Amino acid sequence: MSKKVLIVDDEPHIRILLEQTIEEFADKGVEILTSGNGKEALEIIKIERPAIIYLDATLPGMNGYDVCNIVKNDLKLKNVYIVMLTARGQEFDKQRGVMAGADVYMTKPFNPDAIIEKTSEVLGIKL
Amino acid sequence: MVKVTLKRVLSKKEVSSMVAGIIEVTGPPLSIYDADSSLLIGDGSDKSDRYSVKLAGEEIGWVTGNGNGSSVAALLTLLAGRELTEKSLANETLENYKEINLLYNVSEKMVGCLDSKEVTKLIIDEALGIIKGSCASALLLDEKTGRLDTVYATGKPRTMSPDAEAMKPGEGIAGNVFLTGQGEIINDVMSDPRFVKRANDIRSLICAPFKTKDKVLGVICISSTEPVTYTAHDLKLLSALALQGAIAIENARLYEELRETFLATVQTLAEAVEKRDPYTAGHTIRVMTYSLVVGDALRLSKKEMRDLELSAILHDIGKIGIRDIVLLKEGKLTDEEYKIMTTHSELGAEILRHIKQLNDMIPGVRGHHEKYNGSGYPDGLHGEDIPFIARIIAVADAFDAMTTDRPYRKGMNVKAAFAELKMCAGIQFDKDVVNAFMKVYDTPTYSALFNKQEGGLDVEEGTDSR
Repeated sequence: MSKKVLIVDDEPHIRILLEQTIEEFADKGVEILTSGNGKEALEIIKIERPAIIYLDATLPGMNGYDVCNIVKNDLKLKNVYIVMLTARGQEFDKQRGVMAGADVYMTKPFNPDAIIEKTSEVLGIKL
Repeated sequence: MVKVTLKRVLSKKEVSSMVAGIIEVTGPPLSIYDADSSLLIGDGSDKSDRYSVKLAGEEIGWVTGNGNGSSVAALLTLLAGRELTEKSLANETLENYKEINLLYNVSEKMVGCLDSKEVTKLIIDEALGIIKGSCASALLLDEKTGRLDTVYATGKPRTMSPDAEAMKPGEGIAGNVFLTGQGEIINDVMSDPRFVKRANDIRSLICAPFKTKDKVLGVICISSTEPVTYTAHDLKLLSALALQGAIAIENARLYEELRETFLATVQTLAEAVEKRDPYTAGHTIRVMTYSLVVGDALRLSKKEMRDLELSAILHDIGKIGIRDIVLLKEGKLTDEEYKIMTTHSELGAEILRHIKQLNDMIPGVRGHHEKYNGSGYPDGLHGEDIPFIARIIAVADAFDAMTTDRPYRKGMNVKAAFAELKMCAGIQFDKDVVNAFMKVYDTPTYSALFNKQEGGLDVEEGTDSR
């Protein structure tokens, strides 16, 4: 199984924070990839086949829901675990995320412990 | 905590392509080594000078290469420094994220939490998720005894009995924090003269007050059997949690007080009726007791039980509007008097209409003389159309009327009263309610209640000289 994690967020500081959160996995051989937009993310997903994606819902151009939709409708990619990230309190967004096929949704500011737990669970790696 | 290796710096796409660009422009040889001497870039063939890549005064790797080694080393030093700053900032922010999440979780869970013990449990569970400690406890001042009681404790070690941990304000470190209202960190409790050694064997302690605007309600303590260096930051966090907790605890208390006042007011109202008619003394409380017994057997919800309780207390409130000549008449009422008497259900409902909090009790009060076959009053409702609270009170009311002495007749014993209820089940009373009441009669839980009643009646029967 792939030991790659993809982080997709247009805000550089969120990318850094997510990266730092799961940094300890890097020592266990996990490759952490990042992208700042949906289109590029989709390319990376197709080539790198990450096991789990932290996907921001609101991205410029192709947004997170679109990316999620495409991935989940692609037979070769639909097993990729998608964590959708949205701003806190946007219940409507949660609904959209579920409809797009996201496996789980988390709110920002995200809970670092929840991210570690989810990554650990999906990758099958204990810290 | 934050560590930066040269390998990690070079693993960044931008950095590796920049270094590749430099090598391409200036030409090899150039080799880059990690701190543990493993080769990261290049073939290691050149044996020229070695240039250190330093981070915070420590060498994290080096570069060899005559032409460009020194400038690549300087570049990597700069980038590693940047990386360290970035990571440190990210870590700091992540810590803040954790705290935001913690406080958010706590306040979300505390909304609608109207029990002080529940509040303290919530805070302690969340606090232990972020502050190191082997045990935690919450102490609240008992205003009656003037002592600080442990209302919730978790982890090891702890004394099981709350009494053993009750202490006076000013006693021990927690007692001091209570008096001063200032949180404290004691990283070595043994060197603190205030420390009172109990059964437990703690080394470090952090303690914050449950403080409201004008008083301290109690304290929360987290302690550890291992030496821990608690920081000002830990204390700030615990204080923030305790502050939220104090508000919630006070809320819970005010709610409880309000509820008690309300209940007392309602009881006073009901007593006003009883005081006019000495023969019905205690009737209200007994009807309430029987009703709750039935409600419990029927597994009513908490809210339904509360409504049943108040409805039962208030069921005869309308009698306040019945003239003494009718209400206190000994012997059989005339048809006209009876008609006046029956207005009490409607009068009761009318009285309650004015108090919003009592509006839910109207159906039970208005309908407690309705009969299952539709022959009751005031509305002649049938079966399930009669509000279920009214159906319960009807049974309890009749049972008490039958088993109590009246000026013109003796009360029956419990067995006879139950037989009567059973006979009228489905006609005057709801079968299910009667059945629930009878079932309760057989269980040990409530037999005490009726035995006492029956015993009392038996004695009276035996000594009755009238």
